[in-house]
Amino acid sequence: MSVLRRLGLGGSLGLAVILTFALLAVAAPLLAPYPGQGMGDPNVTAKLTPPSAEFWLGTDHLGRDLLSRVIYGTRVSMSAGLMIVAVSLLVGLPVGLLAGYFGGWVDEALMRVTDVFLAFPALLLAVLMAAALGPGLLNSIVAVSVTWWPWYARMARAEVLVLRGQPYVEAARLMGVSHPRILIRHILPGAARPLLVQAALDFGPALLTASALSFLGLGVLPPTADWGKMVDEGRKFFPDRWWVSTAPGVAIFLLALAFSVLGDALRGREGGKRDDPS
Amino acid sequence: MNRREVLRSAALVALATPFAGNRWTMALAQDGARIFTLAYPTGFPDLDPATSFSNDGAVLANVYESLTRYIPGTDGAPATVNPLLAESWETSADGLTWTFRLRAGVKFHDGSDLTAEAVKGSIERTITIAGGAAFIWYAVTGIAAPDPQTVVFTLSSPQPLDVIAASGFAAWIISPAALDKDNAWFNAGNGAGTGPFTLDRYEPGQRVILNRFAGYWGGAPEGGFDTVAFEIVEDAVLDQSMIEGGQADWTYGLPYENLEALQANPDLSVLVNPSFETLFGMYNTKRAPLDRPKVRQALSLAFPYDDVIMAGTSGMGSRAMGVIPNGIWGHDPAAPVPNTDLDAARALLAEEGLADSGLELVMTYATSDQLESTAGELWKANLAQLGITLTLQPMAWEAQWQLAKADPATAQDIFVMYWWPTYVTPYDYLLNLFHSEESPVYNLGYYANPAFDALIDEAATLSGTDRARAEAMFIEAQRMVIADAAAVFMLDKPNIHIIRSDIKGYKDNAAYGHVVFVNDLNR
Amino acid sequence: MDLARYILRRALLSAFVVMGVTFLVFVVAQVVPSDPAALYAGPRPNAEQIEKARVTLNLDAPLPERFARFAVSMATGDFGVSYKSRRLISQDLRVYLPATLELAVSSTLLALLIGIPAGVATAARQGSWGDRLGSLGSILAVAMPTFFFAMLLQMIFASWLGILPLSGRLSREISISDPLPFITGFNLIDAMLAGRPQVFVDALWHLILPALTLAAYPAGIAMRLTRSAMIDILSRRHITAARALGLPERRILYGHALRNAVGPALTMIGLSFAFALTGSVLVEIIFAWPGLGRYVSDSILSKDFPVIAAATLVVTVCYVLMNLVIDLTQAVVDPRVALK
Repeated sequence: MSVLRRLGLGGSLGLAVILTFALLAVAAPLLAPYPGQGMGDPNVTAKLTPPSAEFWLGTDHLGRDLLSRVIYGTRVSMSAGLMIVAVSLLVGLPVGLLAGYFGGWVDEALMRVTDVFLAFPALLLAVLMAAALGPGLLNSIVAVSVTWWPWYARMARAEVLVLRGQPYVEAARLMGVSHPRILIRHILPGAARPLLVQAALDFGPALLTASALSFLGLGVLPPTADWGKMVDEGRKFFPDRWWVSTAPGVAIFLLALAFSVLGDALRGREGGKRDDPS
Repeated sequence: MNRREVLRSAALVALATPFAGNRWTMALAQDGARIFTLAYPTGFPDLDPATSFSNDGAVLANVYESLTRYIPGTDGAPATVNPLLAESWETSADGLTWTFRLRAGVKFHDGSDLTAEAVKGSIERTITIAGGAAFIWYAVTGIAAPDPQTVVFTLSSPQPLDVIAASGFAAWIISPAALDKDNAWFNAGNGAGTGPFTLDRYEPGQRVILNRFAGYWGGAPEGGFDTVAFEIVEDAVLDQSMIEGGQADWTYGLPYENLEALQANPDLSVLVNPSFETLFGMYNTKRAPLDRPKVRQALSLAFPYDDVIMAGTSGMGSRAMGVIPNGIWGHDPAAPVPNTDLDAARALLAEEGLADSGLELVMTYATSDQLESTAGELWKANLAQLGITLTLQPMAWEAQWQLAKADPATAQDIFVMYWWPTYVTPYDYLLNLFHSEESPVYNLGYYANPAFDALIDEAATLSGTDRARAEAMFIEAQRMVIADAAAVFMLDKPNIHIIRSDIKGYKDNAAYGHVVFVNDLNR
Repeated sequence: MDLARYILRRALLSAFVVMGVTFLVFVVAQVVPSDPAALYAGPRPNAEQIEKARVTLNLDAPLPERFARFAVSMATGDFGVSYKSRRLISQDLRVYLPATLELAVSSTLLALLIGIPAGVATAARQGSWGDRLGSLGSILAVAMPTFFFAMLLQMIFASWLGILPLSGRLSREISISDPLPFITGFNLIDAMLAGRPQVFVDALWHLILPALTLAAYPAGIAMRLTRSAMIDILSRRHITAARALGLPERRILYGHALRNAVGPALTMIGLSFAFALTGSVLVEIIFAWPGLGRYVSDSILSKDFPVIAAATLVVTVCYVLMNLVIDLTQAVVDPRVALK
């Protein structure tokens, strides 16, 4: 209960929505009304049926139940968001640590490379990478991560710059503790914490970027259900047969919204009062 | 009035714009010009008449003319080749010499006269540049212009030159003044034809504007159009809204699923005709287990032919009877093509020791082609019931093609593509797709059968002189391919064009893809 | 002189970044699975035509040589020809770049025009219903997938209400019968220069929906930033002093407080502009806006390498220049930035 009180009404609602989607992802075969169609089996005779008692959210151009497709699509979207953030952290954090800790030419070299990646408009670079790697969920995750890690590298570096000057780190260095040990034992924990919070906040944007790639046809392979791709497939029937795009579109929106609201609640707690610079 | 009230009233004003309630239209002073607008779903990559080999034919066919025009047979009426710039023609008994007599009084847009030298120069330019579809003239060894109205072609082997001259590619006649112009000159929006319209303006990726050519030999119909506007709109959603809203008079490429609603719209006519475009998947005959005909036959038996026509084309496509579509001579209405029969497929696989073998196959197809994707998804579901996993791999065409041209041992298992003829002959399909090749270009199933090769090569030499015998041989050859299951013949695409109902005189011509001969029309 | 050194360093960095981007684009293009010769040879080429194209394009030259050629052609602004259309890329860019910039600038303006006043207004009335509504709006705007928002706007304003055009930059009647002369490529400016108010209105009306789509996200962010900056500043001592002196509330709000907010405002401009450039890939497709975003995504799908390279580079240079200008302005306004 105390967690919910701390999150406030908005944050709690956000958390509830996210947990619901997570449950849908995990238990998709049990919860989807037509698991086979969720995974891609066509059902040609029922194509483009409007929402009804039989198909709550209607069916797509191959007659597949959209509710089941959306539920199965949760798996792709959730794992895409999670993986993008995780991969980016795995790359960005070490780069930032090394740059910030060693400074000098190491810092200069690593940060200039980072600058190059940051110089691209993010989606453009992701599209370029996705085209180079070919379609597929894993490739699109890699493509988005390529645009994502530099932010974490920068953040980590800034954190390290602060921590490096702390007396306890100075002391460890004077005592002759090795560099890797200082980095891992004394700096990493302090630097990682704000990054993890940021990563949690980035779930929503990562999800939106991944779905944009998929909307452009650079995501999963058919017949896997994926929200961005489903919106694209339904676009040619829009707005006359609005349900085909609307179901997955609203799903993306809801999940991104939930992450954003939860993020705000977390940040409100984490941030506290800023120091007055003047 | 406090700030909040100001904001509120500003919002009200914004909502109550003078346009509220009306469909958005720009009130413009119309100068009364009669404009025919095509919402064209693709761009026009090459407007050079020598090398154009794509939808740019839609523009060129209104600006340029060829010697003859092909009219497909309908409802039992045989196909004919009609005069255009040539008034008449004859061939020698051996089929090696063709003499065309030109129409008199034809002017190019620059004012010069159509002469035999111009025809000779145009076709020689095309052959020299050797781009696009220039290969259609491969048998031509010489072109002579004995007098200004007569052109004589000499061939190395007998060919139906009247049909070749009607091709929608590489057969356009251009003004002598343009013979030394390069590709860039034509693609800058310059034209030099004899057609009913002149090229006025080309905004790449956006539009092409044609204006009526006052000196056209064929004149203009009553109420004909002064201007033709090709609006390049590469998004079916927007094409549809344009034709529905009356901003376009003609379009194609709309989702099949939406056509029923359009058919009910009294302002629109939806014309459904057979096309010369056929969809198939070539089996990799060079790699196990698809090197065994029976395994291939089993896969073809598992293909959901009717479901794909229903789901993919809303029932508007038709069964492919082999590779030569209806409307082209050599089409075999009684071809022994397989029907969907999962039990028979299972039995065949068991015979080959592949019952529930967990076989994994890869099918490549063009990214963002909805029909190919649908065919793959439905086939995949059927194959899953036989214990076969089909992986659908969308690729950019060049990448798909490059993979297939490399090493058959590491290439795809099934290569899905469309074929349409350069000029109307069965040889074009059979030669390109199934004739054995040392390094494959379009025979991407690597089919090699000497008996088949010999049969179609002989039929080709006969098609200029003894078309009936040639046709019988082409049909026999096609049945070989079907018996060997070299490919799964998925469906023949329908040719669907949507046109505003107030347009008169419109006729589809499958030999020219998505071409509109605007001078035939009026409103 | 610290400021001068800072400016020099920033400029050099930007130059370095552009070189890095050039290299990266080249490397990625080598990985793209495709056959440029087959693309260049046109639809359905035969083996000889492909071979000829391979020679023309010099594809068999060693990699370093090809990179050198590529870098030189990019540096001189001679972007070569598209493999697919064989048109001069610089000609295409002349049309597409202004189209995208017009959209990006408009959406940036729109985002600030919505976001900043909303931020100021909600900060002035913290906790009110208006404040809560504003916060809700900003959260919704930030979570909305751009492509789906574009479709919704089209449905509501073009299909249902019919008060705004569905797509394009100008009504087709104008483009077909009486086209606007190409002067700057910015339709709004060209219409004014040509003295055609009707066309100006038409162009403006076509801008609304795509600009609004691209403005939603940055407007939401701008509102939040403005709001928290305002709350922060309003609580400071000199504002309290101004209040004590009896200065009118409006002067305090816009005079004293906003002046301190130039830095955040510049950040917001940069953010909106960046988002517009990025989002143009999606929005230009949906609104059939003939700009760089559509150009680059088309070329990526058809693996048209010279176009991918040129368009990516041009967009990225726009982006880098924008950031440079913002950083320098910030350094001039607030020299403390330069010292960091």
